[in-house]
Amino acid sequence: MSGAPLLSINDLKTYFFITEGVVNAVDGVHLKINKEEVLGLVGESGCGKSTVALSIMRLIRPPGKIVGGEIWFEGHDLLRKSEEEMRKIRGGKVSMIFQNPTSSMNPVYTVGSQIAEAIKLHQDVRKHETDEKVVEILHKVGIPDPGKRAEDYPHEYSGGMCQRAMTAMALSCNPMLLIADEPTTNLDVTIQAQILELMKALRKDFGASILLIGHNLGVISELCDKVAVMYAGKVVEYSKLEMIFEKAKHPYTQALLESIPRLDAGAERLRTIPGTVPRLINPPPGCRFHPRCEYAMAVCSKQEPPHVEIGQGHTVACFLYTENGRTKRHR
Amino acid sequence: MMEMPETILEVRNLKKYFPVRGGILLRQVAAIHAVDDISFDVKQEETLGLVGESGCGKTTLGRTILRLIKADAGTVRYMGRDLLGLKEKELRKARLEMAMVFQDPYASLNPRMTVADIIGEPFDIHDLAKGNERKGRIVELLKRVGLAPFHMYRYPHEFSGGQKQRIGIARALAGDPKLIVADEPVSSLDVSVRAQILNLLKDLQDDLGLTYLYISHDLSAVEHMSDRVAVMYVGKLMELAPAEGIYRNPLHPYTKALLSAIPVPGRKAVKNRIILKGSVPTPIDPPPGCRFNPRCPHRQPICAKEDPEFIEVSKGHFVACHSRK
Repeated sequence: MSGAPLLSINDLKTYFFITEGVVNAVDGVHLKINKEEVLGLVGESGCGKSTVALSIMRLIRPPGKIVGGEIWFEGHDLLRKSEEEMRKIRGGKVSMIFQNPTSSMNPVYTVGSQIAEAIKLHQDVRKHETDEKVVEILHKVGIPDPGKRAEDYPHEYSGGMCQRAMTAMALSCNPMLLIADEPTTNLDVTIQAQILELMKALRKDFGASILLIGHNLGVISELCDKVAVMYAGKVVEYSKLEMIFEKAKHPYTQALLESIPRLDAGAERLRTIPGTVPRLINPPPGCRFHPRCEYAMAVCSKQEPPHVEIGQGHTVACFLYTENGRTKRHR
Repeated sequence: MMEMPETILEVRNLKKYFPVRGGILLRQVAAIHAVDDISFDVKQEETLGLVGESGCGKTTLGRTILRLIKADAGTVRYMGRDLLGLKEKELRKARLEMAMVFQDPYASLNPRMTVADIIGEPFDIHDLAKGNERKGRIVELLKRVGLAPFHMYRYPHEFSGGQKQRIGIARALAGDPKLIVADEPVSSLDVSVRAQILNLLKDLQDDLGLTYLYISHDLSAVEHMSDRVAVMYVGKLMELAPAEGIYRNPLHPYTKALLSAIPVPGRKAVKNRIILKGSVPTPIDPPPGCRFNPRCPHRQPICAKEDPEFIEVSKGHFVACHSRK
């Protein structure tokens, strides 16, 4: 590994202050992304993965608030930047693709003019150059007849094309970090395959680091180098992609992997995780997974498990693996 | 020798078109061919999986079979009886034996009714049980789906998504059905909860001898659940075969592309992935010939002219494709 990571998040805490209480959506998350690396952030709905993304972009709106932590990007803490400075970074060095492409675009402007807006904001280019750039980038993401389609409005695009256009917009200023929040979730599988292919190609072309957020482990497998697994506002396991799928250590990761029906395994019965994802207003004390964990010990409900490095770059937050804890063997 | 499984549901040439109106007079200007001449059988105690992408008409097909939507043409026979010709009163009775589990448990339970009233409603409508017997049967149903008797006095908002879907399943079971149409029963649930519901559906099938029509866009879940699988594309069936046949030996180019498009957890890439061009065409006045021909990698001149017949190419394996004759 060369040099410092491109992005490193230390002890990030983002809470939502609602009438019922405080929702600890992100509660002490540590993450790092190296240059040209693709990190997958996986977890179920409500585990806080999108909140991590929005916190990096500083797009958390009240009642939400970033209450602690640091987000280091290129030697600066993004949390200490002024709103003015953040605006320059957003869409420039750090850009984002949102989950629902059709509703993330402005319906009253043409697709081309929306992409042009991003270019004008961040780059010093002339009018006709901007138009050329728009057509060029639309061509790169595989929009047929880009000169003509740039004049279309978002409703004239299909879901897959909208996602391509969103991607074009995000890539238009050559970002160093691209955050993609469930970029294929709302698409049909055959369209998803097209977008996956596009992202793989773009990864090679642009050399940007990507934070890919998703719950579809198949999609994550195809694109990522490393994976961080989140549960109830915390990262529970972080490792290289292969290690997560072959040697997952955290009981939650293991159970999650075994509970998905897979095309390549004909298991009669799926493994289930008892109970449901906890509400984050009053998260369980200690390890947040302990009420659903089959290996739970007395300590799990009292103390929070520390992150332990159990292999090269493989960390896990579970008492089964602490140095002085027991070394119960899993499959 | 095993006894040949009896056919419980026989669908023949079923059609459902929705009118598209336009102009000042709101005349019908086009039609959405949601279900377009579909025929298949469902055998007793099997699970027939119905897969397809969004907008292909799979939900409409499920609803048309149960007569929640009126069909335009064709027949649906349930245990030999013509469902589409039944009078209102007879239909109500027949509906006891057929139930539906809906996609969105958040929207399909009345928020103002207690769980007991939701599950007990079929008893009231059909006058099946009253007083203590009604209560006893509700408790029994709750236990069957993995809930506790004390849950009966609660309201839907007090439950999580997975529990809500359990309530939806309990309601479906109230009339002692033989056939259940399950329309995307787990797609709105958290990943870790999906397995619980899929396992529950399997257990209920084993215990009660249920027959399922399992509608979903998730091909991995369908493989897990189904004995046979039907693949739908823009209002038509493209292929129908035992699950083994669909997943190990798919014949239709669309089925092949669909299967190869699924990313597999733990794998960097799927070998020989077929990337289809373009997107699913609208079912409004679809193209002539095979519906799939504009995107098909093996297209021939005939494909744009003639609609391929749905033929049995090997035992129990049906396919609608000109290159398979």
